[in-house]
Amino acid sequence: MSNEVAIEVKNLSKTFAMINKESRQLREKLLRPFSTKHKVKEIKALDNINFTVNKGEFFGIIGKNGCGKSTLLNCIMGSLRPDKGSIVNTEGKIIRLALGMGFDPNLSARDNIYINGSILGLTFREIGDIFDNIVEFAELERFVDVPVKQYSSGMQAKLKFSVAIHAKADIFLMDEFFGGVGDINFRKKSTKVFNDTFLDGRTIVHVTHQLETIKKHCQRVLVIDQGKQVGLGHPDEMIPLYASLFTKHAAPKI
Amino acid sequence: MINTLLRPILERIPENNRVERIWKLAQVDFKKRYYNDKLGLFWALLNPLFKIAIYYMVFTFVFQINIEHYAIFLFAGLILWMAWTEASTKGLSLINTKRYLIENIKFNHIDLYISLTISVFIGFAFNLAAYLVFVAAVGIPFTFNLLYMPLILINVFILCIGSAMILTVIQIYFKDIKHLWAIITLAGFWSSGIFRRGELFLEAFPPLRVINPFVGIVMNMRAISFDGIGPDWSLMGINYATGIVVLIVGIISYKKFSHKAIEML
Repeated sequence: MSNEVAIEVKNLSKTFAMINKESRQLREKLLRPFSTKHKVKEIKALDNINFTVNKGEFFGIIGKNGCGKSTLLNCIMGSLRPDKGSIVNTEGKIIRLALGMGFDPNLSARDNIYINGSILGLTFREIGDIFDNIVEFAELERFVDVPVKQYSSGMQAKLKFSVAIHAKADIFLMDEFFGGVGDINFRKKSTKVFNDTFLDGRTIVHVTHQLETIKKHCQRVLVIDQGKQVGLGHPDEMIPLYASLFTKHAAPKI
Repeated sequence: MINTLLRPILERIPENNRVERIWKLAQVDFKKRYYNDKLGLFWALLNPLFKIAIYYMVFTFVFQINIEHYAIFLFAGLILWMAWTEASTKGLSLINTKRYLIENIKFNHIDLYISLTISVFIGFAFNLAAYLVFVAAVGIPFTFNLLYMPLILINVFILCIGSAMILTVIQIYFKDIKHLWAIITLAGFWSSGIFRRGELFLEAFPPLRVINPFVGIVMNMRAISFDGIGPDWSLMGINYATGIVVLIVGIISYKKFSHKAIEML
């Protein structure tokens, strides 16, 4: 881990404008131009988040469901634009690894690999060099030209995992995505590769509910609750803090 | 198969990540449309040939229109118009169909619009080839004026990219734009001088030369390939101006508003 900054997040806020679905129709606007129904409801999904991630750091983000973790990842990715005054600086190519990631179900594994690789900045020659490795690792040699939608969910997971570990990006945003997919054999193999080589020296932001991986790998953890930054620090201190979020508003008795 | 045909050209282009990416996206879009690779291309070729043959029979035997080569005259306008409506209508749903990429990797989205237009133009190339084959088959001589063709194609190309981007932005605020769009394209279709000579339309309603660039585009297409004369340069100028304005408005508005569209996916 070096002291160079890979991701800088300052005063990050994100407000979603919830527009009534009907108001987005031309018909409604023409028929009822002054209706109060068209008012925009605002929801603050993220409120003043501050942190930096250094190059080579394994950074964790934890929080309850719906607390804004995925919104935060999307803001870092750049697919969501944060509110005015927010600063998000990132260094280099970013890829997001999630379970529903980056494949067009109607295309073959071959085309999907080429498209994903190309968008990440690899030339076709470079993709060609690692193509066999990707397919071989995913154990899908016989199905390279079959549309991905015909894969079983296990095969899809294997392919995703294999593309992910071969992807050459500078920053990896992992949204509930971690080693250990597929059958027992593949699970062993993938976990091993993941822990031994993938994690080594990469800049990773990991969003998860699995506290074990956080404890084992993360250098620092950010805890979010209802869009607000609750804590930032070593996992040993943050995990109890995260647990206390649940006891504070205890679940209603059934 | 398209790749095999184009390989000699592609191999000479220096390796460029962006060019490769745009080409690949266009290629898979086209491939998806005509699914199986080898037979797919066969259908892509046959489709326009059959279409033009049907027009030919309908207008000579059913309607008995006594204008010479009317079917070919019609086809010249039709293929240009269809290319544009296809590109713009697909542009409406582009961020939805390419959601799997937009949400997971950071890149310049204009690549998607360029590749969409290229994939439409691959199909258009088959139509154009069928058109030229028929022009030659009925004995209309080719002249050097045919060399102006690329100018017309580039004009349509930038119109396609620009209008696809503008439509993406409009549908953020008006989600039902596709219904209105179907009506607008229908109005455009009947005012583009596809079924009759564009000159008649311009005489009846001169502002049309600015409002609907396809009147001029179709007229010029027929001039160079059908009549064997040079294009009308003033119309060409107006059409290019429209195309460039549409493209610039498209790119600027997309840059400014597209994040909202992605938020609402």
